Amino acid sequence: MSDKLKQIINKQGEQQNAETLDQSDNIVQLVGFVIGEEEYAVPILAIQEIIKPFTWTRCPQVPPYVLGVFNLRGSVIPLIDLRVKFGLKSKNHNDETRFFVLKQGDEVAGFVIDRLTAAIRIKRENIGPAPDTINGDDTMIDGVGKQEDRIITILKVDKLLERDF
Amino acid sequence: MDEFQEILQDFLVESFELVEKLDEDLVELENTPEDLELLNGIFRVAHTVKGASSFLNFDVLTHLTHHMEDVLNKARHGELIITPDIMDVILESIDLMKALLNIIRDTSADAGIDVSACVARLDKVAGGSGEVESPVSDAPVPEAEAIVEEAPAAEDDLDYDNMDPDELEAEIEKLLNQRQEEDKAKRAAKIEAGESVPEAPPAPDEEAEEPKAEAAPAPTPAAPTPPPAAVKTEAPSDDAKAAAPAKRAPAAVEQTIRVDVKRLDHLMNLIGELVLAKNRLIKINDDVEERYEGEEFLEELNQVVSIVSLVTTDLQIAVMKTRMLPIGKVFNKFPRMIRDLTRELNKKIELEIDGEETELDKSIVEEIGDPLVHIIRNSCDHGIETPDVRLAAGKVETGTISLTAFNEGNQIVIQIDDDGKGLDVEILKDKALKNGIISEKEADSMSDKEAFGLIMRPGFSTAAAVTNVSGRGVGMDVVKTNIEKVNGIIDIESEVGQGSSIKLKIPLTLAIIQALLVGVQEEHYAIPLSSVLETVRISKDEIYTVEGRSVMRLRDDVLSLVHIGDIFEVERILDASEHAYVVVLGLGTSKLGLIVDTLVGQEEIVIKSLGDYLKGIEGIAGATIRGDGGVTLICDVVALMDMAKGVKATAMIEDSAGAGGSNEKTKASDYTIMIVDDSKTDRTIMRKALEPLGVTLVEAGDGQEALNVLKTGDHNFDAMLIDIEMPRMDGYSLATEIKKYNRYKNLPLIAVTSRTGKSDRMRGVESGMVEYITKPYSADYLSSVVQRNVNFKSEFL
Repeated sequence: MSDKLKQIINKQGEQQNAETLDQSDNIVQLVGFVIGEEEYAVPILAIQEIIKPFTWTRCPQVPPYVLGVFNLRGSVIPLIDLRVKFGLKSKNHNDETRFFVLKQGDEVAGFVIDRLTAAIRIKRENIGPAPDTINGDDTMIDGVGKQEDRIITILKVDKLLERDF
Repeated sequence: MDEFQEILQDFLVESFELVEKLDEDLVELENTPEDLELLNGIFRVAHTVKGASSFLNFDVLTHLTHHMEDVLNKARHGELIITPDIMDVILESIDLMKALLNIIRDTSADAGIDVSACVARLDKVAGGSGEVESPVSDAPVPEAEAIVEEAPAAEDDLDYDNMDPDELEAEIEKLLNQRQEEDKAKRAAKIEAGESVPEAPPAPDEEAEEPKAEAAPAPTPAAPTPPPAAVKTEAPSDDAKAAAPAKRAPAAVEQTIRVDVKRLDHLMNLIGELVLAKNRLIKINDDVEERYEGEEFLEELNQVVSIVSLVTTDLQIAVMKTRMLPIGKVFNKFPRMIRDLTRELNKKIELEIDGEETELDKSIVEEIGDPLVHIIRNSCDHGIETPDVRLAAGKVETGTISLTAFNEGNQIVIQIDDDGKGLDVEILKDKALKNGIISEKEADSMSDKEAFGLIMRPGFSTAAAVTNVSGRGVGMDVVKTNIEKVNGIIDIESEVGQGSSIKLKIPLTLAIIQALLVGVQEEHYAIPLSSVLETVRISKDEIYTVEGRSVMRLRDDVLSLVHIGDIFEVERILDASEHAYVVVLGLGTSKLGLIVDTLVGQEEIVIKSLGDYLKGIEGIAGATIRGDGGVTLICDVVALMDMAKGVKATAMIEDSAGAGGSNEKTKASDYTIMIVDDSKTDRTIMRKALEPLGVTLVEAGDGQEALNVLKTGDHNFDAMLIDIEMPRMDGYSLATEIKKYNRYKNLPLIAVTSRTGKSDRMRGVESGMVEYITKPYSADYLSSVVQRNVNFKSEFL
């Protein structure tokens, strides 16, 4: 019985390995979301979790786009409104609003986004650099992904998590 | 190699512990040179360090300690009287020993420090008396042990004197090797003995074994040829010696294990989580109770919740205790320091220590060492007078500094008293004025307590000259910074000629604290309870505005106020009620009243960091998670006090002033101001100062007249300038009378007077004056004060 089980598990493992090997090099996995009218994306591995909005505590002496801090299972995490950060007017949270918790190293922060779109697999060759006009070290844009009918702006996670005030 | 590192670590930990105790013992020894028990203890320390260091091949350290041991051994056998001069040499050698230990800790080798000078001096001390006295003492001391011990010592001395450094080193090397072998042999013998000794503790406990290790090899260096038999004959005497100090410090024989501080920190973090969960559980329990009142299962739930909360609290206290160190760790170094200082300053000072067993969190113990050093140095240098001055003042020649530690609720209090010359308030103010630390006005209105607080300001020093000991004006500033860092409070009391007393009140621990939760609008903030002196409920009438800042009267003091909403940029949407709460914060020597809307209660909170993204926000020390899962920010009281200085009078008062109902001003003459002064000249001066504004001016010759004018209601006054000294009715009574009228409740009353005393200002504030202008004043100043108070529109200028 257990031998059989092992066999099956091994088989499945092989299959999965084969699949990932197929794609690993050329495919970038992203999660897309919408802020205002634009679609953005961040690498899937940078996302710790995506949660529905809940209460947060306002924090004084910070720029308007920092809404405050919230409790994520015992950790106190800053909450940033990407609408305000991108120069749009903030709007009330609705059913589609989500908190995106991004993590890189020890840095963790939550970001408010308007709507999730989908997990995106995109070929590396389909990602172009950020437009020259906004290139440079300061830009938050990592690149622009092209898919059949749309363009997705891929954001730099480290820039998002960087304190800039 | 790892094994070596492990042994090295143990050696260092043990050595540092021993050396720490050594300082204290040595100073005590100087006072009671005949205390054999003490001497034996000290000898054993030197010996233990020597034994271990030779085993680990730290030659320089071994060399040094060996010679220390020689001197101490002579003293131990009564051949050498410990004089202050000899003690200086011994203390110097101990300093070197410490330095060597530090180097070993950092580099794992004991190179880099030249001990030869000190060793030579030690030799002189030991050798000098050795040569003179040994023939005499040989005869009366029949013990074989003593003779055997002295002979090599004397030999060594002679050799060293005639040797050049190279030979000396070689000789030392030879002796060391020899000794190391002896030690090894001893050790082997000891292990055998240890195994056969029936009363040896069965558990392989480190501490329990250490005293044995110390005691057994003690005779090793004494006998040049160590027959195993010698150990046995001498062992009993050593055991007896070891037992004696054990009575003095029973803590030494308690069973302990050393634990990495990181593990304790981790444990503390876990407990923190548990406390949060407990808070949450209590909250849920309350909710459930409300909803299912009368249900049977509630009883059971209640019991479980209360047990969990009880055990959590106990657990927290227990873990906290594992991090506690006796404050004696810090106090230990002071007898030595005082001794050095007395010799340096030519003063006679005695140090009394009490409560050294009081325990504090490790991290705090580390923080308070420096402040205490500075305070005590200060007391020695500035507090205690020289013996002749003391005699002239009718005091005992020897000054006393007492260092006391005790628990007081959730705090530990460290009190440093001296019976020196005390702090002279006038001199302090004078100095501060000259150094430009305070302005003349501040100096006048300063209370004694505030004046004492001046010594904590950076750059302040009363010392005429900068000495080795103090006078740079840095030390007490360090005290303030460090104490505030651990949320402590400094309280200074002093009486000229009688001495001064400094109290440091420090919370017991840092990670989990008691906090007062306050509410403003819909937000909550947590204030560390250790910084809260009291809370007061006030009505809005009790808040006065002086020079654009809110103040209130709290018993005998004027307390400056700031609204928490102004500091934390809280939007005031809800209408505040007629009453407000003032949380009186105390930190160091300063106080501040924080106006809040509601007091939520006291809660145990766990401090969590805000992370890199939000760290360093002014006024916020961290955050905590509350029972309902929400996040509450914790106020940083130090920063809060700083920020309060920049905040102007609260909007709350402006609002109510607006409600006073003055009509819209359309031209400058719509503003009406009454001038009340009995002197025609003064009235004219004021008139001349205000006329350029174009405002309407009404004059009155005294309080009664002014009141009559008000009663008629012919004018709608925007402000009044009031002299204090007037016939019939003085300014204070007038102000009090005016405030009785609801209509004039918010009328700005500006005192214009030559009375500048603090009590006068206080009376002014009490009677409702908002500003206090002292004669003589410039026309511009008067005009600007009036403009500010009537909200004069700039377009009319």
